[in-house]
Amino acid sequence: MKILIIEDDLATAAHIAANLHHRHDCVDRAGDGPRGLSMAAGQHYDVLIVDRMLPGLDGLSLVRKLRADGREMPVLMVSALGEVDARVEGLEAGVDDYLAKPFAMTELNARLAALARRPRLGEAATRLRVADLELDRISREVRRAGRTIELQPREFRLLEYLMAHAGRVVTRTMLLEHVWEFHFEPQTSVVETHISRLRGKIDRGFDDELLHTIRSVGYSLRAAD
Amino acid sequence: MRAIVFRTAAFRMALWQAALFAVLAAALLGIVWLRINDYAQEQLRDDVAIEMASLRQADARDNLEAELRQRLAGLPADQDYYLLTDAGGRAIAGNLSYRPASAGWHAVPLHGAVGKDNSDADQVQLFAARLADGRWLVVGRDNRSVVELGEVLSRGFIDIGLLAVVLVLLSGGFASWRYLQRIDALGERAERMLEGAPESRIVGSGRGDEIDRLAARLNRMLERMRVLMEGMRQVSDDIAHDLRTPLSKVRQQLEASLADTSDEAMLRRSVDRAIADIDGLLVTFRALLRIASVEARERQAGFGEVDLSAVFEHIAETYRPVAEDGNRRLEASVAPGQRMRGDRALITQMLANLVENALRHTPPDAHIRVDLQAGAGALVGRIADTGPGIPAESRERVLKRFVRLDSSRSTPGAGLGLALVAAVSDLHGIKLTLRDAAPGLVVELRFPDTAPR
Repeated sequence: MKILIIEDDLATAAHIAANLHHRHDCVDRAGDGPRGLSMAAGQHYDVLIVDRMLPGLDGLSLVRKLRADGREMPVLMVSALGEVDARVEGLEAGVDDYLAKPFAMTELNARLAALARRPRLGEAATRLRVADLELDRISREVRRAGRTIELQPREFRLLEYLMAHAGRVVTRTMLLEHVWEFHFEPQTSVVETHISRLRGKIDRGFDDELLHTIRSVGYSLRAAD
Repeated sequence: MRAIVFRTAAFRMALWQAALFAVLAAALLGIVWLRINDYAQEQLRDDVAIEMASLRQADARDNLEAELRQRLAGLPADQDYYLLTDAGGRAIAGNLSYRPASAGWHAVPLHGAVGKDNSDADQVQLFAARLADGRWLVVGRDNRSVVELGEVLSRGFIDIGLLAVVLVLLSGGFASWRYLQRIDALGERAERMLEGAPESRIVGSGRGDEIDRLAARLNRMLERMRVLMEGMRQVSDDIAHDLRTPLSKVRQQLEASLADTSDEAMLRRSVDRAIADIDGLLVTFRALLRIASVEARERQAGFGEVDLSAVFEHIAETYRPVAEDGNRRLEASVAPGQRMRGDRALITQMLANLVENALRHTPPDAHIRVDLQAGAGALVGRIADTGPGIPAESRERVLKRFVRLDSSRSTPGAGLGLALVAAVSDLHGIKLTLRDAAPGLVVELRFPDTAPR
């Protein structure tokens, strides 16, 4: 993946870049808003990582300008402003995902992966399929190996999200934000409980496990190798 | 103070009023004077005409000269003028030096008259008539009564006008002074309160007038400010107190692990633990910031219409399996279609915190009820549990930051959940009450009646 990091804090930028190099991504860096904008407008990048507060041109304005120019590449905004309002502002400016600083690298990687292959406008499939597990977004039916599986509405959303990101790791926070719309850290095992129920319904009694726990990172739904 | 009295809006208003009164008095005087002058002139001519008629009657009786001399001798006031001349215009009798040329009315300046310079009159109205034998008879009266009337009138108007101006200025000055006194009293109290005096509010006059309304608004403003200042101090206290302790712990751990670096596995575990501890700290830190931002009402701008019933259902649906996994039972009864204005994310977090509290502070087999009831104009949410409850004397205290009851020391948590609940309910005007559910705790949320119908 070709990634542009627009971040004025050198230590943070270096930290992120080192992590991405480690993943064999191709990384460019820009230290201020105007430079970041010209680089993003002039070359092809798979994903932009944009800090919200940048010298010269702040991150929100930068993204607005890019979007106004019709540039559709996914943008992940990272910011010390983690409040829900700040997040909403970011999404309204055209940001695809918003991550509050400080964050774990595993969280950043999971979100980048989700963004990079994010279905673009109009491409959202109505039927999702992973191995022999099928989910119909219209009829809201779930089947595995031809057997209908009854899910609670929230379990359906959880599975839908996992299947839409099949093969990739999704973190607890991503699930909380997208499935439950919780923008805080619950003090109880909300995600674990629902995952375990879902697992009981889609995996129990079948030969291959599809829903995997990635220790201290999150979960991944994928067909057995 | 004196100079300030004249600089108030009230006094400026009084000045304008005084000027208006003066102009009004002058205009009134002008109009009245014009009318009265016309009337007096007419009256004067009528008098002269009657006198002329009377003398011509005397002439018809051949008694004109005697009558005339008698009048000249007994003139009551020297404002009447008579002149009898022969046909050639030479005076026969009279107190007027005038040479009649034509019959009819003539107005002549008074300086033409004899010895009549001791009055305010400046003009004489003369009526000349030619008698049958060719002699001229002239009767006249000077205008002193008209002039005097005018003087009396204008003196009266000027007196009244001056009095009005003085009164308006005095009352304006007084009003301005009273106003200043009350405003300054308000200002001084506010100033004292800002300087940290223990007074909690500005007291109005109790008349409910505009100054009282201003005082009430100032009170609200000062109260808000006090809360904010308090909040700020609280946050710094909290940071000093409750963040420094865990930070020192992490530091000690790291320092200890550096002391023995021979065991790499141990070192790795130690670093992992430090990261986990710091993550915990960050959660606390984020919660603190969120409470502070909610308390500072930064978020009211983000208010929208919230489907409260859906949020309640969502929370119940989310936590029912969590409760079951912990051998507790969660039941919900939610009135459908209830809406309110608010911040959906915050209301969700508020309810989640309350339900999580109920889950975490009750023993297994406990029952938890989540209700939203609408009826009789009231919208009430309840989260009740059958756990140990909160003693009456602590119910207010647990809403503060970092307050954890001794009975819950063993459960993890920073004691910020209920503080956020209190802040969010305050932001939304929700009345939050903690009560005994006998057994257990019931948290009641009385929602404001702002639901759009």
